[in-house]
Amino acid sequence: MLPLSLLKTAQGHPMLVELKNGETYNGHLVNCDTWMNIHLREVICTSKDGDRFWRTPECYIRGNTIKYLRVPDEVIDKVQEETKSRADRKPPGVGRGRGRGREEIGGRPFKGIGRGQEDGSKGMGGSRGRGGSGSKGGGSRGGGRGRG
Amino acid sequence: MSGRKETVLDLAKFVDKGVQVKLTGGRQVTGTLKGYDQLLNLVLDEAIEFLRDPDDPLKTTDQTRQLGLIVCRGTAVMLVSPTDGTDELPTNPFIQPDGA
Repeated sequence: MLPLSLLKTAQGHPMLVELKNGETYNGHLVNCDTWMNIHLREVICTSKDGDRFWRTPECYIRGNTIKYLRVPDEVIDKVQEETKSRADRKPPGVGRGRGRGREEIGGRPFKGIGRGQEDGSKGMGGSRGRGGSGSKGGGSRGGGRGRG
Repeated sequence: MSGRKETVLDLAKFVDKGVQVKLTGGRQVTGTLKGYDQLLNLVLDEAIEFLRDPDDPLKTTDQTRQLGLIVCRGTAVMLVSPTDGTDELPTNPFIQPDGA
């Protein structure tokens, strides 16, 4: 499970964010991005010493100032579902590399990579026709790439 | 490539509104947002800095400093929030509700 997948899954959930300076922000996660920049709604900010509190309707927090986030436990169940469905698609991408090595030159793995890309750019049809083992990878190749 | 869609929060809705900005290092500034870019560089008009207690830089004091028109560098921006609807709470809001 990737931290950012968990965070993305936590969208809409309440969470606590502690910044590097010690301030904490409790609010509902609206959105986040690959830099961990986050947008919270209905936020309560707590000062570092825990003595002062502010309420603000929303705030944007820059990812690199975050120390950690606390997310509700139930989020982890949801994220696993997502990683599973993603895992279903990913292995073919891995298999593609292996399959190629077998089909072509076993002794020159690195060259194999370069060729493989050529094959890929020419189209899935070519690789699909080549062999049964490759065709499995070829079929979902597009999906795997698009994801990554 | 993806143009302005980069930001998680669309700052367009804060333009010409009051925003509070916290900067790395601890400075705290409010002002009217006049402009921004995808790097989160901000243009604030009539900016006011909230000065901190020299003995305890964690605490902001009531003292302010007028900065006028400023550009906040995006890399130094930690936090942006609207000043509208932002209030300090008199009590700890986490104790009262059910103790949950």
